[in-house]
Amino acid sequence: MKNNSIGNPIQSKPSFNNKMASFIKNPYVGFILFGLLLSLLPIFTSLGVMKNSTITIFGGVLIYTVVAIGLNLLLGFSGLISLGTAGFMGLGAYVSGYLTEQVQIPFIVAILITLIIAVLISMFVGFVSLRIAGIYLAIATLCVSEILRKTFEEFDTFTGGFSGATASYPTLFGIELNRETTYLLLVVVLIIVIVLTHNLVKGQFGRALHAMRGSEVAAQAMGINLLKYRLIIFALATAYAALGGALYMHFVKFSYPSTWILPMSLNILAVVVIGGLRSIYGTFLGALVVFAVPDLILKKIPVIGGIDGIAYIFNGILIIIIIMFYPQGVIKIPNDLKKLWKKITKKGGKSDVKKG
Amino acid sequence: METFVQLFLRSLETGSIYALASLGIIIIFRTSNITHFAQGSMGMFNTFVVTMGVITLGLPLWLAVILGMVSAIASGCLVDFLIIRRTKKVAPVAKQIITLGLIMIFVGVIPMLFGVDPLNLPKFISSGEISILGASLSYNGLLNILLGFGILGILFYVLQYTKMGLAIRTTASNEPIARLMGVPTRNVTLFAWALAACLGCLAGVMIAPTTSVTTNLMDAVQVNALIACILGGFQTFYGPVLGAYIIGIGKNLLVYYGSSVWGEQILYLLILVFIVFRPQGLIGKKIVKKV
Repeated sequence: MKNNSIGNPIQSKPSFNNKMASFIKNPYVGFILFGLLLSLLPIFTSLGVMKNSTITIFGGVLIYTVVAIGLNLLLGFSGLISLGTAGFMGLGAYVSGYLTEQVQIPFIVAILITLIIAVLISMFVGFVSLRIAGIYLAIATLCVSEILRKTFEEFDTFTGGFSGATASYPTLFGIELNRETTYLLLVVVLIIVIVLTHNLVKGQFGRALHAMRGSEVAAQAMGINLLKYRLIIFALATAYAALGGALYMHFVKFSYPSTWILPMSLNILAVVVIGGLRSIYGTFLGALVVFAVPDLILKKIPVIGGIDGIAYIFNGILIIIIIMFYPQGVIKIPNDLKKLWKKITKKGGKSDVKKG
Repeated sequence: METFVQLFLRSLETGSIYALASLGIIIIFRTSNITHFAQGSMGMFNTFVVTMGVITLGLPLWLAVILGMVSAIASGCLVDFLIIRRTKKVAPVAKQIITLGLIMIFVGVIPMLFGVDPLNLPKFISSGEISILGASLSYNGLLNILLGFGILGILFYVLQYTKMGLAIRTTASNEPIARLMGVPTRNVTLFAWALAACLGCLAGVMIAPTTSVTTNLMDAVQVNALIACILGGFQTFYGPVLGAYIIGIGKNLLVYYGSSVWGEQILYLLILVFIVFRPQGLIGKKIVKKV
């Protein structure tokens, strides 16, 4: 890799430096490096630096990041909330689990069918609720998630009822994956989702969304069909949720109706709010805070850690505090710290640090 | 005929519960412009307080309910005072998210304060039945129905004919102008949050004997109350209450005459379809957007 050359800056000519800078600044390279970084984790665990369970936790974080990126699109660009995230994740989990285990369809085909079903349902729900006011989507999706939960419990030939459904690790192109390789698959899927989302947001579609976010009326005047874009973005969010659910099914290998209830949707929402709206890395950070910090750090704190529900309270308080005082989310903290640092150094009368 | 009357009476009972919860939601919505998703969770929390009053402190139920009301008023005021009051400039969506954060806090606090075991709350009147048109109804059910009607009646009287009610209605119709006219809108919202918490607590106490007191005690109530608000329309105070009774009746009829498994889902679907044709709800004016 070219990256090794960062280490010896002396010989590098300016032109090469520029090339290097633009190479690093290129978002796609960033995404791939991010993916490589994530895929190092199994190596760490096999070396014994981290515990084996860390893979499970991080796999969960990756899955929730995929789901939350969808919700982030929805909330960040159109200001709509979906409370059906958990329901749609459950749908994805059960459908893909049923298709691969009972019907014996290949993994990739099963995922495609799952996505199609989720998008169809979201089209119906979105069409009903999005024509009116924004707040209706939250309630309508809550309603749908309730319907789905009941369905998971009652439709037991398909979902296994209260005892849940099971699945095995996915088989890709004839190769049966294990936990580590499934984790790598999750990384790959996450990077694909990130790149897709990035392209979508930077393209014509994204500009329409930005216009909508600025002013709905102005956007309408520019010929943007609000309903159409809202429907598409809601369908996307649902598809991501279903994809996340399907991945969950094949990574965690079982699924109970009690997983796919409101607290899960709220946690995903917390990921988006805490991480920062319209930020992909922020979403990952948020997922880390919501899903990994409780397991990795919070439970190890002596007195507080033993209390049930502490993680949930922690996330709830964090959401409210961030909305009230720091609406940009965690991702903006380094930026603000940098600004603060500049201010302090300037006030001190010392030479101001200029960054190239 | 008897089964129908029986179903109808049962529906009035569940309808009362939904009506109380949805009235709380609509009062918050109208005065603070927030879709109150935490109504159920706050009610659940205060129902836990009532249950602990009965079980741990050994209080009689009515005294425990009063204790619950006190805690409801305290929690409602606290939420308004600490959070809602400070979010004047926050976008409506963000306010919704704040109530969702409240759900997480209230649900998360439960195992810390009250343990993880499901608890049982006794009925107000433990036994006895009354026969109406050949259908039997327990005294407790009758009490719930009358309580629901009574409280709703009192509240609507207050809203319509007292100074406090006038203040609430003016705040609801236009908050900044109400403030300019000298209405103490801060106190009105404080009162609204306390009232909503009380209504949620009552709904919780009424539904608790039919199941066990757990963190998802009020989930169904919350969902149904929100849907009642959609069905009745967000523009009036009585629309959601009407919607709540319709949902109560429709649900029982569909479950009994339709399908015991799918009845509820069919009702939700019907309501979703209904909104397509009448977006503003049963009672309500069309929302006109101004540029």
